[in-house]
Amino acid sequence: MPLPWIRSAWKHFAVVLVVASVCGSLESAESRSNETAQRIDQLLQEEHAIDQADPSPRCDDETFLRRVSLDITGQLPTPGKVTSFVLDPDEAKREKVVQRLLDEKEFGRNWGRYWRDVVMYRRNDDRGLIGAASLERHLTEQLNKNTPWDEVATGFITAKGDVREDGATGMIMAQVGRPEDTAAEISRIFLGVQIQCAQCHDHPTDRWSREQFHELAAFFPRVAVRPRNNDGPRSFAVVADDGPMIRRRPNGNNRFRGTPEHYMPDLEDPQARGTRMQPIFFLTDQEVDYGTADAKRRAALAGMITAKDNPWFAKAFVNRIWAELVGEGFYPHVDDLGPDRDATSPKTIDYLAEQFAASGYDVKQLYRTITSTDAYQRQSQPRRSFKETPFAANCSQRLRSDQLFNALVHALGIPDSPARQADGPYGPRGGNAELRRVFGQTFSYDPSDPRDEVDGSIPQALALMNSPQLNQLISASPFTTLGRLLRSTPDNEDVVVELYLRCLARQPSEAELTHCLQYVKSTGDRDEAFEDMLWALINSTEFLYRK
Amino acid sequence: MTQHLQTNISISRRGRLHRRDVLRTISAGAIASGGLGWADRTILQAAELRRRGMACILLWMQGGPSQFDTFSPKIGDTGGDIKAIDTNVSGIKIAANLPETAKVMDDICLIRSMTGNEGSHPRASFHLHTGYIPNPSVKHPTFGSVVAKAIGDAQHDLPSFVRIGNRGRGATGSGFLGVDYAAFALNSARNTPANTKPTTSDARYTRRLGFLEGLETDFAESGGEQVVADHRKLYNKASKMIRSPHMEAFDITREDRKTRDVYGDGEFAAGCLMARRLVETGVTFVEVGLGNWDTHQDNNDRTKQLCGQLDRPYAQLLRDLKERGLLDNTLVIWMGEFGRTPRINARGGRDHYPRAFDVALAGGGVQGGQVIGRTDPTGARVTDRPVEVADLFRTFCHSLKIDADDENMSAIGRPIPIVEGGSAVKEVFG
Repeated sequence: MPLPWIRSAWKHFAVVLVVASVCGSLESAESRSNETAQRIDQLLQEEHAIDQADPSPRCDDETFLRRVSLDITGQLPTPGKVTSFVLDPDEAKREKVVQRLLDEKEFGRNWGRYWRDVVMYRRNDDRGLIGAASLERHLTEQLNKNTPWDEVATGFITAKGDVREDGATGMIMAQVGRPEDTAAEISRIFLGVQIQCAQCHDHPTDRWSREQFHELAAFFPRVAVRPRNNDGPRSFAVVADDGPMIRRRPNGNNRFRGTPEHYMPDLEDPQARGTRMQPIFFLTDQEVDYGTADAKRRAALAGMITAKDNPWFAKAFVNRIWAELVGEGFYPHVDDLGPDRDATSPKTIDYLAEQFAASGYDVKQLYRTITSTDAYQRQSQPRRSFKETPFAANCSQRLRSDQLFNALVHALGIPDSPARQADGPYGPRGGNAELRRVFGQTFSYDPSDPRDEVDGSIPQALALMNSPQLNQLISASPFTTLGRLLRSTPDNEDVVVELYLRCLARQPSEAELTHCLQYVKSTGDRDEAFEDMLWALINSTEFLYRK
Repeated sequence: MTQHLQTNISISRRGRLHRRDVLRTISAGAIASGGLGWADRTILQAAELRRRGMACILLWMQGGPSQFDTFSPKIGDTGGDIKAIDTNVSGIKIAANLPETAKVMDDICLIRSMTGNEGSHPRASFHLHTGYIPNPSVKHPTFGSVVAKAIGDAQHDLPSFVRIGNRGRGATGSGFLGVDYAAFALNSARNTPANTKPTTSDARYTRRLGFLEGLETDFAESGGEQVVADHRKLYNKASKMIRSPHMEAFDITREDRKTRDVYGDGEFAAGCLMARRLVETGVTFVEVGLGNWDTHQDNNDRTKQLCGQLDRPYAQLLRDLKERGLLDNTLVIWMGEFGRTPRINARGGRDHYPRAFDVALAGGGVQGGQVIGRTDPTGARVTDRPVEVADLFRTFCHSLKIDADDENMSAIGRPIPIVEGGSAVKEVFG
């Protein structure tokens, strides 16, 4: 153990005692996750002979804690937590810390934001963004309550209400209620099947026909998104319109004013009414009768999608979460699965999906399982090429915008500043919430895009290295975290260690420590040298990535 | 992160780069002497530009513009209420939505016989941006990146490829060409790019960068070599850029009021003006987005409104480039991912239609005042001189003096030609 540990251990001694005294009360859930995790590693071994491919060793404790904290809560661990975790002799400390992180409110918030981006990046209209804040809130709550994933999905599919109040309407609002687009997104997100390619013509490589796509859209013709005439900020409501044909208001999403059934357009004659479509679920051919009320239609579809005998519902979820945590999914795209795609490790994903379904779609349990696998806990490597063995290493990932923003808030000690207006047009106005949103315009990306296509950019580099706001925050003035640290800590080595812990959640290596102390010496001005150091740490590649 | 391997196959390109390099030094020297104002420098650079390589401005009509309401009005056959107007080239009529464009028709070569198969936005945008249909195993680079690599001035302070507006919508990346040739993307041309005023002294900034480099070794050694290298490239590029006097090119308020007025108001007008300034400064490829042309509903009104944003800036861009002697060396492409259906649908809209659509070319050796290809009276199918996407990309390359058969190396070490198949539409060049 390097010397600096002793120093910071001394500083964070109190925390060590507290953590060490916490005992797991979820023994059974943990051991279930552990058994599943072991089985997964076995299956991966069977499918890929990983042990012959020079797999990465298990990552060290510092790496693990930073990784799992960013993955689960989207936050960096505090210096105190890093120190106590590394020094904790408990063999089960990794499982325990996962449980603790899953119990934090930040778990729901982190993944709520993730799913908000999944939904909103594919909006077909910018008005969809009006539902973004409530969607995020809703998902945060559901995930923190550990609502089973089938219930969450059912909520989205059957949602009604004001889009600013009921976040479950977000998926429909993102498509402003257009039946085709809503159906396509529900299939993509909950089943990982991209049936929308069959919207205009039968898909060349998939089995789905154009009819099947429009039969899926036929579950949604009675959904309408209507403006709300209230005093508050501009809003919309997702409503059901089951009224008789003659009095129907246009719902702006059907090709014909308020038709109660869905019609597949005639490609040769787009002005014609086209063919009336019966609601039929393409994976199982289950039907609903013409004339069925909206609530019953959508509830029926939710039941078909989330049924235990439909494997794609579980597979889509486990594949996505696995891809986010391990860095590579079982399919090249997190939202393009289905019977016509080949999985890299079919037995493993089948098993993981079965376990997920058997657990009653227990979301937190899935996180426990995946984070317990060797596949997750290995040291990270760059993204493998096609020829290399999959899952022989974790894969380092660029932080999502929200994670990076959290890391900056943490590293620079940006004080929490409340929003001026909780309900602005597209979310809260003023305070850190708006800063976060503006930051996202430069740093966020569609989480469904393959991660190897997400590159850094010059505007991102400029924002981190040259924004006036950040430069103010790294200054050593008496009002910043750095300024206070420098005044309270006379020893330069202590300051370096503290900055590393804050920014990168690890101790500096001996070489880094020397490099830094040498820099302070050669610069001559202590404040200036440490400002530069803090600047360099938040501008380092490591800061932008989770290893 | 993809591993970026590149190989410079062509030696001849090197020669051209070298020449451009020398010329750039002249202009940097002139700037360094401090005796020249922006206008003088501009003239000097324009003169240099005439002698040096080519540039390209892509006006990207995101969403797929209706050919009927822009360049190919078909009266009586296609629904809607399109009026055709005469242009300054006798025999060529375009939609009444584009009165200013009609006045510069003699500089425009109109291809009315584009034909493709991709009818969804992401796939078609990819196809018309890269020349390739999407392929999960090869990350094809967008044309701006290809051009930046082939003829961009790698030593220039500004990025060779700038993309303005419409970020994230159908925008494709640099693919296997990597961060070296990625677009510098701006949301808006009305403001200078954010965070480009140096926040510390030059000396201190240099010191910081040096220190940062020393900090990166640990991460690089633990498997992050490639991402650290990419990160460093971005930082070097960004640093060089913000310290450059050429940054003025990003500030359209440096143009006099009159110049700005003739371009007109609006985001797209600002984008076109900035594109001209950038090309003048030595940027090789500028993409300016205008959208959303996806008029499934209320096609006539929405297209009219969009044409209002397009018409003046587009016409003025061509005039302005010409007056400055830049048009001959600057290919200006107007296109979107596909056209729209001949028939108006039940929502008053037009749907996606890749089978027959328009592309307009100007500058870069293109002979204006001509129409290539033709469709049947309803506009449903091409009846003469069909042009496919590969043909179009070969035509771009011909104009830009890029060898379309040059190969770039993909991440898995497979050589990929700039354009696969097709042949340049030679008539475009007269």
